[in-house]
Amino acid sequence: MGRIGCRGNQEKAGVGSTDQQSSAPELLRMERITKRFGDLVANDEVTFEVLPGEIHALLGENGAGKSTLMKILYGLQQPDSGQINLDRRPVTIRSPHEAVSLGIGMVHQKFMLVPNLTALENVVLGVSSPRPPLLELRDPRRRLMKLAEEHELAIDPDVPVWQLSVGAQQRLEILKALYRGARLLILDEPTAVLAPVEVGQLFRVMRLLAAEGRGIVFISHKLSEVKAVSDRITVLRLGRVTGSLPTAAASPSILSSMMVGRDVSLERVSPPVQGDAPILELQDVSCLTDRRTPGLDSVSLTVRRGEIVGVAGVDGNGQRELVECIAGLRPITGGRIAIQGRPPKGALRTIGLLGLIPEDRHEQGLVGDFDVAENLVLRAYGRRPFSAFGFLRWNHIRSHAVEQIDAYDIRCPGPETKVHHLSGGNQQKVIVARETQEDPALLVAAQPTRGLDVGAVESVLNLIRGQRDRGAAVLLVSTELPELFAVSDRVVVMHAGQIMGAVPPDPTRLGEVGEMMMGHTIQVAGDGGTAA
Amino acid sequence: MESAATLTRLVRRVFYRLVVPVVSIAAALSVSGVLIVVASGNPLEAYGAMLQGAAGSIGSLATTGVRTTPILLTGLAVAISFRAGVFNVGAEGQLYVGAAFATVVAVAPLGLPGFIHVLLALLAGFVGGALWVAIPAYLRAYRGVSEVVTTLMLNFVGIYLISYLIDPITGPIGERNASYAQSALVQETARLPVLISGTSLHAGLLLGIGLAVALQILLRYTGLGFRLRMLGGNPTAARFTGMNSSRQIVIAMLISGGIAGLAGAGEVIGLRMRLYDRFSPGYGYDGIAVALLANSSPLGVILSASFFGALRAGANAMQQATGIETSLVLIIQALTILFVIFGPLRGWVATRTTRRAGLTPGGSESAP
Repeated sequence: MGRIGCRGNQEKAGVGSTDQQSSAPELLRMERITKRFGDLVANDEVTFEVLPGEIHALLGENGAGKSTLMKILYGLQQPDSGQINLDRRPVTIRSPHEAVSLGIGMVHQKFMLVPNLTALENVVLGVSSPRPPLLELRDPRRRLMKLAEEHELAIDPDVPVWQLSVGAQQRLEILKALYRGARLLILDEPTAVLAPVEVGQLFRVMRLLAAEGRGIVFISHKLSEVKAVSDRITVLRLGRVTGSLPTAAASPSILSSMMVGRDVSLERVSPPVQGDAPILELQDVSCLTDRRTPGLDSVSLTVRRGEIVGVAGVDGNGQRELVECIAGLRPITGGRIAIQGRPPKGALRTIGLLGLIPEDRHEQGLVGDFDVAENLVLRAYGRRPFSAFGFLRWNHIRSHAVEQIDAYDIRCPGPETKVHHLSGGNQQKVIVARETQEDPALLVAAQPTRGLDVGAVESVLNLIRGQRDRGAAVLLVSTELPELFAVSDRVVVMHAGQIMGAVPPDPTRLGEVGEMMMGHTIQVAGDGGTAA
Repeated sequence: MESAATLTRLVRRVFYRLVVPVVSIAAALSVSGVLIVVASGNPLEAYGAMLQGAAGSIGSLATTGVRTTPILLTGLAVAISFRAGVFNVGAEGQLYVGAAFATVVAVAPLGLPGFIHVLLALLAGFVGGALWVAIPAYLRAYRGVSEVVTTLMLNFVGIYLISYLIDPITGPIGERNASYAQSALVQETARLPVLISGTSLHAGLLLGIGLAVALQILLRYTGLGFRLRMLGGNPTAARFTGMNSSRQIVIAMLISGGIAGLAGAGEVIGLRMRLYDRFSPGYGYDGIAVALLANSSPLGVILSASFFGALRAGANAMQQATGIETSLVLIIQALTILFVIFGPLRGWVATRTTRRAGLTPGGSESAP
């Protein structure tokens, strides 16, 4: 094992230093790729290249266009313009099948495996048998085991996939791609599903593969992992490449500023209202994630009347669990949560207590098949005036919808429009309208601007500011630092389920936030502490 | 002006809802027609005889009604569960257990006025069906066990349970020394009234139609219906409104099982007057087909159940007139469902209705 790793490193070094410079035998070059979805430009003249033997990280927040770019490369989507070159030859990739035959392999975030088939059967699935029509497994088994051994991808070929751990399934996916002769391997957020130990193993495998001259695209939004494993980093933001640089030259602050955007205005629109009464109080709150790993780790936080507390952090560091605990949707394993002195259980059913803008509009916030009017009363349908004696009063529901459509500028043909026909921004306005209509004491907004275009971002943020000015306590969770700094009265930073610290929304403190997002503890001056 | 626009909209909506079922039926009849030709029969003659047998006279209409009644009720049972996002495929077992509960009440000489005895027997049927689905409901709502498996498996348990209950020697409600496994005769006071004298068409059909209307109102006009539709539309979003989803799942399944139980009760006190071993030729499973064809709309279930009921009623007449096996109707039924779930047809309707709304399909959902 150690021997192989050693040799790999030498080879890698060779590729990196000499070949790269002289003849630049690029494996992949995607040139000026543009892809639009309606008004949204997912990829805007993106140029991206991978050299043989290179681990090239593609970094960016959700919605930055990473997935779209890779879907184009894998033939799942066609670019509106631009050119893909493989080995300096222009290619058109119309389907994943064509991508595979060109030597491109992809490990999706959600594994594409048949649970009832064994590991070996999954590998040969879709590859024609050497002796058709018979299923010949002897040679494939030998090939698979050889690949597994060479790349430290331990796998039992005869175990049905459903019995394999997530890490083993991922190894199998990589083997599947190698079996099909992948020279360019795309790993879409491969670490998201792994435990820390497994992440280390994966990185070693990635280096081995690169040492053989394969190109690897590593998609991630975790700065630390990208720094640890990649040779080069390309950062995408809002569909554009904001920079591409060797990993050695990339510091966390450079990367975070590229992800965040340098030229963003951090202008505050309204001065902070001086709050007093604490509305939301968390004391040493802990909880588990869906996968039963620690989610929150002794989080203490107070949000007062008339203030917006921003929660910054790289996605997946406990923000989701924080929101769900506050909303009473996730049991806490320790500590205490109080909203106006009450436990969160049932808070969503209490009038005027808690408004919740969930992070996933489609999954958590809306019923796509319901019309706008129905979605606007998703929580209040059972109360007057929308309902009396258990019966719905459609005339009130409808006139309420007409008012809200007007008040919140929801662009739609009418209250009877099915909400899945609306654009993302207008869907979000439906949710904001619904969650604020009863003037809740606490508004929790999780990634409220994700995937929205600039205009919609502005109006959603203004609506949230309006709630603060009215006197609501607002907890705003976002991965977008400029937006947090623009509207928050105080920014706390989460990392690995903990609150690392708090800073006032002063643009000069952006660096500190970046450091804390990486997990570094920073001594913060007494201003705006988290009230432990 | 205003009302004219509303009317046009309503007509358009009804039209688009009918496209899939009507085209599916037409396609199924055409394909079956080819099969008849292959078997050297005349499809027009066969369908003519079938129509005659299903609707050619008062008597045949009554037969259609009789055949429609049980699948109308099981169809409603399945439809209401589908609307709540729950897949109760155990209507067959619930029907049997409901029938047994109703039988116990109906054969007892309670000395009650007819109206009340009938109501009690129906209530017992509802309770029996609801009880039979209570176990899967609990497992699904609080333990996350797939209701498809549990409800389906309980069908067999239910059928054999009834075989045991009415065994002539050991069964607690079996008629002693009878030559068949059957219960005692239903009391006169517990029988559903016959609607057309000289036929066996009973008030169970009215019960079904009334229930369809009631369920349509429930879904559209009540808070409970709103919750059930929300649950069926997006269970996660329902949870994020603070709703207790588990409770709604239980409620939906109990209603569904209860209605299936009513179907069994109706057969016993409306048509057969005894509980027989294996009296249902699969009404519970037909209910799934009925609900699918109606796209789980309660009022639509009236139409789709009538269609399948008419097929059954006409089958015998067709066999007598043309010699074509009655099992042809099973082929028609199966083909109809295949066409209903055939993607492109639904896709066409979806794009048409979307275009009508003046929007692009999918909204921003195609964006990353």
